[in-house]
Amino acid sequence: MTESTRKEAGGEGDGPTPPNEVGSPQEPRRGALRALVAIGSLAYAGALAVPAVQFVTGPATSAGGGGKARWVRVGRLEDLPQGEPRRMQVIGDERDAFTLVKDELLGSVWLLREGDKVRAMSATCPHLGCAIDVGADKKSFGCPCHASRFALTGATEAGPSPRGMDALEVRVQQGWVEVDFRRYRQGITDRQEVGA
Amino acid sequence: MSLGDWLDERTGHRALLRHALDEPLYGGARFAYVWGSALTLTLVVQGVTGWLLMSAYAPSATTAWSSVAHITYTLRAGWLIRGLHHFGAQAMVVLLALHLGQTALYGAYRRPRELNWLFGLGLLGLTLGFALTGYLLPWDQKGYWATRVATNIAGTVPVLGAWTQRLLVGGDEYGHLTLTRFYSLHVAVLPALTALLLVVHIALFRKHGVTPPASADRRKVDAFFPKQVGIDLGVGFVVLLAIFALALREHGAPLDAPADPASDYPARPEWYFLAVFELLKYFHGALEPVGAVGLPLLVGGYLVALPFLDKGADGSLRRRLFWLAPLALVALGAAGLTVKSLAADAADASFLAARKLASERAARAVALFREGVPPEGPLAMLRNDPETRGADVFKAQCASCHRLGDLGPPKEKQTAPDLTGFGTRAWVLAVLDNPDADSLFGKTPFKGMMPSVVRPPADPEAAALFTPMSAADQGAIADFLVAQARGERGDGTPGERLVRQRCTGCHRLDGKTDDADSLAPELRGWASTAWIEAQIASPGGGKTYPPGAMSKDLEGHMPAFEEKLSEKDRKVLAAWTHDRGQKP
Repeated sequence: MTESTRKEAGGEGDGPTPPNEVGSPQEPRRGALRALVAIGSLAYAGALAVPAVQFVTGPATSAGGGGKARWVRVGRLEDLPQGEPRRMQVIGDERDAFTLVKDELLGSVWLLREGDKVRAMSATCPHLGCAIDVGADKKSFGCPCHASRFALTGATEAGPSPRGMDALEVRVQQGWVEVDFRRYRQGITDRQEVGA
Repeated sequence: MSLGDWLDERTGHRALLRHALDEPLYGGARFAYVWGSALTLTLVVQGVTGWLLMSAYAPSATTAWSSVAHITYTLRAGWLIRGLHHFGAQAMVVLLALHLGQTALYGAYRRPRELNWLFGLGLLGLTLGFALTGYLLPWDQKGYWATRVATNIAGTVPVLGAWTQRLLVGGDEYGHLTLTRFYSLHVAVLPALTALLLVVHIALFRKHGVTPPASADRRKVDAFFPKQVGIDLGVGFVVLLAIFALALREHGAPLDAPADPASDYPARPEWYFLAVFELLKYFHGALEPVGAVGLPLLVGGYLVALPFLDKGADGSLRRRLFWLAPLALVALGAAGLTVKSLAADAADASFLAARKLASERAARAVALFREGVPPEGPLAMLRNDPETRGADVFKAQCASCHRLGDLGPPKEKQTAPDLTGFGTRAWVLAVLDNPDADSLFGKTPFKGMMPSVVRPPADPEAAALFTPMSAADQGAIADFLVAQARGERGDGTPGERLVRQRCTGCHRLDGKTDDADSLAPELRGWASTAWIEAQIASPGGGKTYPPGAMSKDLEGHMPAFEEKLSEKDRKVLAAWTHDRGQKP
């Protein structure tokens, strides 16, 4: 539309009844067009937004590796002293998005031998996920971040942790201590497995 | 026609510039108004250094740390660019606090400026978002553990928490996707939102103008240029100088060891989050989200509500004190908690020890980085490093019996020879003098098997026949054995002759001994890396001690590690023990 024709049309909504000319639709048609433009814009945005949301939330909604037993050999029973906790490293294959690392350090667990039985606990603090260390006297566990303390049994003794240390299933096979290595959500009172 | 005229005819830039610079400041230019401009100027520093860092950074779990180390230690001026970005971010936080404080004090949030206060709060949130996402990007221990804690805090929020955490982390485990997500937030999403909000923030500010204090003479009017521009630039320059000074003093920005999920790390957030960190110690159990999320939300809610609560006709500071009291309380509380947190760490010996260990590991990682990082990443590099891996294996496998330097059990609890100085002249002379000392074989099943060459035996008859070995002969034997430890043969030395005369009655040399039943060890290659490696694999394998050394009667003898440690770990441990033992 040239400048002169627009002037002739008198601009949009200038008069009480806009003149019916080419390129200046009547009121009902104008409403329909407005709706069409709105729907078109929404469709345009939606066409981008739907795959965008799918893409971004994908990794957050796909099932993780949790919920399944993962037995890992962590050490020899004979090497565990009675009543004194030992930290053992958990080694296994780790898949991270597009890389697979063989024999990677996945984390560590605390083992406590009591007679011929072994107690195994996750070394991840149930509070907010720092690594739990043993106290200097080897009579309790402590978290270096927010000062939670745990008894050798894993029960909470002091500090903000919402629950005791997470116990892990353990078995002894041909002298080797094996632990079912699982991870639990932090900061909540319930013990909920991650990715289950 | 000048170029300026030509350009103005086509762009109208002169009117635009005049509009920007001739803004009237009712009540006159003031130092108190500088903080917004100082923030904008610092944002420019962040933008420029950020783009430069982007050109050298590689966001993935295997490359992030190495690329940041490359920026910091290899690229020309990389340390400076990273240092400016690091300290610029901290300056932003300080300036934000000042800007917010000035706005609150002057009542610049009051009608009709409520919306602009809200946009300012939005920018504050975005800045903290920059801080949280940027902290992770080097993928070092500090960023990794702080992010674990921060995202776990998000996970404690009822209902939406777990999902939010998975969305941020990119699944259940921290890895590549966590980095790429934080990176895209840090360099694309947050900057875009910041630019948008900042444009609206400044436009609304221009619409309403400055808020002079009640005492100001509103008839006095300054244009923005030159007085206020001058003050703003001056302060901006001082801030820039401070950022440069900090970057120069630290020679860049700190970089901790590569993120290691299996390590111990005393995680602490950046100083401006220490108050929230300290708060977490006081909210126990199910109350956790109350402290970590509830209280900050409450403070946020108060800030949002402030302009809608403080609506009295009288805008003087005295009348507004009631509404500003919570802000003062929050500021005081945050300062108190921060000081308390710093004091608690400074007095915590185990924190300081863990911190020292972390710094040592960081230094080692950087030293290894200089030799080149393998494609598997910096964590694999550390795991394959004899220095690091050797110490780890020693701590896990040997340190419950043996001492070596700082490692091992307390002196009264050691049940095996102290390996500090193993393979040195001093160690050999100590054994010749008193093999049954507690720090040598006194706590082992081998106690009483080797006589001293200096001290007369307890039996009076034997003592009568005893002549102590001369210092020269002891020295010659020690020299021969030290040569063995170095991997030399020492053939034809006086020491070799003396060993054949005085020691092979019990000890073996090249497998030969006068007493095949003796449990005394092989002296050829003694304390060399190969000897130590053989001893670790099997202490009764014949290469070091004879099979009898592992007899059931000798309770407390050293176990074999052939099955417990991989060959690679045994080699690494032997090399590490050899090198570490020889250090004073």
